[in-house]
Amino acid sequence: MFATRSEYDRGVNTFSPEGRLFQVEYAIEAVKLGSTAVGIQTSEGVILAVERRLASPLVVPSSIEKIYELDYHIGCAMSGLIADARTLADHARTECANHFFTFNERMSTESCVHAISDLALDFSDVADRRDRKKLMSRPFGVSLLVAGVDDDGPSLWKTDPTGTYSKCTAAAIGSASESAQGTLQEQYNKSMTLKEAEDLAVTILKQVMEEKLTKSNAEIASVSMDTKRYHLYTPDELQTIIDRVFPQGISTEPGT
Amino acid sequence: MMGEWSSGEGLQQHMQSHGSVPRPVSNPPMEHRFMPYQNNGGTVFAVAGPTYAVAMADTRLSSGMRILSRNTTKCTQLTSKCVVLTGGMQAEMVELHKRMKILITQYEHAHRREPSVNAVAQLLSTRLYFKRFFPYYTFNVVVGLDEEGKGAVYGYDAIGSFERIPYVSQGTGAELVTSVLDNQIGKTNQTKQLEPLDKTDLIDLAKDVIAAAGERDIYTGDYAEVYVIDETGVNKSKVDLRKE
Repeated sequence: MFATRSEYDRGVNTFSPEGRLFQVEYAIEAVKLGSTAVGIQTSEGVILAVERRLASPLVVPSSIEKIYELDYHIGCAMSGLIADARTLADHARTECANHFFTFNERMSTESCVHAISDLALDFSDVADRRDRKKLMSRPFGVSLLVAGVDDDGPSLWKTDPTGTYSKCTAAAIGSASESAQGTLQEQYNKSMTLKEAEDLAVTILKQVMEEKLTKSNAEIASVSMDTKRYHLYTPDELQTIIDRVFPQGISTEPGT
Repeated sequence: MMGEWSSGEGLQQHMQSHGSVPRPVSNPPMEHRFMPYQNNGGTVFAVAGPTYAVAMADTRLSSGMRILSRNTTKCTQLTSKCVVLTGGMQAEMVELHKRMKILITQYEHAHRREPSVNAVAQLLSTRLYFKRFFPYYTFNVVVGLDEEGKGAVYGYDAIGSFERIPYVSQGTGAELVTSVLDNQIGKTNQTKQLEPLDKTDLIDLAKDVIAAAGERDIYTGDYAEVYVIDETGVNKSKVDLRKE
């Protein structure tokens, strides 16, 4: 794959003779090392779910956050370098707050995603003429799933390190994204309820996680049409879904 | 030599007390002051109905006791269902209206839709407050149809404080107009409750009100622009007023 990278994979501003930006491509690779995140859009709202990979049993699970609130009506799940995601989330939060301040209305989900993507390629190794300090000197090594409810209803968006964004009915990012995407393609249908989407998200997480799925090593959030609000599920709410999907309990064998 | 910003009297006293030669009377010290504002007069007002809104502004442009123009608009259509009307200084109005149009175009590009009247109202407020310490000398009315199709009227002060209200009036004839609107629309402290006005009655009332303001206010007259905003869009017409 990288046979022709030669010298062209060093600078972030240099195309290779084949027309590729290697650093951006490597950033996409970084996302593939990240934990899996799943998003499912239904007519009743959107579900986001991520696995929490605990580096050690001594880590307090609740301290690892991979689903953020961007505004009252928008949430995002991430995979890749979480610190990079925080920079993007901070930016999106500022944009949402600023939009509300200026227009007295909530920002549309697409505009929020657009604001995130605007920042994705705003990197360079030099400051610009006004000596504005660049936020980032390399591509962001993170992909986001952004879920929101606005005047056009619920929607789900996927962003990647290139700044490309696309609207999805269901999407998965991270290390097990391919198998998760496969399951989504098989199981997703447009007439799903939010509850069915919760179940599907938890089923997929269980499939792709190496560890046994528990209420503390996964996160799930929703943005529902009823409330038009982002809601991060408590561990107990997550446990309720797990019990509903796996009434027999989950075996400790991975991948069963 | 002359104190640039001080008043002449104080300076002369100061010089005499030090035994200097008094300044010749033929060359009195001049007071310098930055006076960037003037009121070009005119009256604007708007009334919200259940499914429509009526807005009106005269077209006279005055400076002191002179009429500069009999046909200068104080209104700008900002979206397909929103108009802004401005009293105060005309140059500031032109600048503000242009800026609002640009900002709304930018909004349309960024968000792929037209801003609601509510959004336009908040945007105007933030723009006005942005110039809190060198304000636009403008007194604005935003009028249109809200997202539910109801008539919406917003009134402002010069630095962006605003409120959605059933009717509002701004400019040199505002007091005259407000009295009638309080009586006929607001129905405040009435001995007899009147029936609510329908759309055509309201438009007729509005025309009479601005004509009445033109009778008493020398800065209001010539023509009145009439905007009726309803589900068909923004409908504009013009009526005659006193022209002396």
